[in-house]
Amino acid sequence: MTISHHPPEDLLADFAAGKLEEAHQLVVGVHVAGCTRCARFVQAIEQLAGATLEDFEPVPIAPDAFDRVMSRIDNSPEDEAAPPPASATDHDLPPALRKYRIGKRRRIAPGLSMRPIELSGSGKARAFLLRSAPGSRMLEHTHTGTELTLVLEGSFSHEGGRFGPGDFDYGDDEIEHRPVVGDEGPCVCLVAMTGDLRMNGFLGRLIGPFVRL
Amino acid sequence: MRLFIGASKGPKAKVDWADLIGRVASHGDRAAFKRLFEHFAPRIKGLMQRAGCSSDEAEEIAQNAMIAVWRKASLFDPATAGAAAWIFTIARNLRIDLFRRRARADRLRADSELPDAPDPAEPADAAISRVQDAARIEAAIKQLSTEQSMVVRLSFIEERTHPEIASLLGIPLGTVKSRIRLAMNRLRDILDEEA
Repeated sequence: MTISHHPPEDLLADFAAGKLEEAHQLVVGVHVAGCTRCARFVQAIEQLAGATLEDFEPVPIAPDAFDRVMSRIDNSPEDEAAPPPASATDHDLPPALRKYRIGKRRRIAPGLSMRPIELSGSGKARAFLLRSAPGSRMLEHTHTGTELTLVLEGSFSHEGGRFGPGDFDYGDDEIEHRPVVGDEGPCVCLVAMTGDLRMNGFLGRLIGPFVRL
Repeated sequence: MRLFIGASKGPKAKVDWADLIGRVASHGDRAAFKRLFEHFAPRIKGLMQRAGCSSDEAEEIAQNAMIAVWRKASLFDPATAGAAAWIFTIARNLRIDLFRRRARADRLRADSELPDAPDPAEPADAAISRVQDAARIEAAIKQLSTEQSMVVRLSFIEERTHPEIASLLGIPLGTVKSRIRLAMNRLRDILDEEA
């Protein structure tokens, strides 16, 4: 898999620092898991974070903190940190996605369907899997917020180039998209989106009232 | 204040944290663990408070992180990550989990009817495949100028605003923004060259 579109560096740095909201962290994380180049960048930021931690100004901790930690270690030596793997019903999904509960497929328009991903609700952005039929021309749309898209299967192309598996696309309300899905098969994308998708054009106006992506 | 003896040795006395973690892993060395605890627990708490946690939350993360250091010590591989970076990622993931649990609890309180939500106790998945060796990453970072690594640390790790960084470093706001951008591009380039 040749990845040619990567997340911007500041998004990777925020990911490494743990600052991204859940939906964004999920999408960037799945990209990073499959992209050596970005994994390296994230590791470099983590290394800088380690240096920051090592030199950080200490603050007083609870006087009995060490004893409490040792007694917790002694009283439950078992490793609680290994949860059983989630029911992996979607074998074709990346491992990072398998532990999320993914909702039923909903048809949005001809050739276009989505499955919502259940998040904790700590952030504003929603995450979903978007599936579009091969060769389809997706609705012309703009965003009211930001949109992070990661191609899992198939491809699409728009003004910014061609996006295949592993490629990451970053859209905000400045950008008007009119993606065309590749002919090789359906295109499945992992999407994190804040705000609403605004459908433009005739078809969009027609179905717009019924679509709340 | 007894806890800060480690720090009073001054910055020159570099401790081999990886060796201490190795001793915890190989024979549950409590003295080694205590040294790790005394250095890192108060700093994890400080950094977490800096990043927006309350004092209680930061304390909880610091204690849980150190328990994880004990339990996962055998998983630490000094060839793939620096010791402090490894401890940072543990604390970071705990913070992500804490924020999510808090959001979920708030939402459940708001909803009268409780859905059978999936177990929230799953660790945040910020873990990535460690394919790079730590020494090369370290060498790449060293190629950044002190000024460049400083702005990256202040902005992304300490989560300070650009105006704050400007006043801390005594440089114009525009310089902060351009320096961060340059540092990020430079880091990308160095890492790409190394590849």
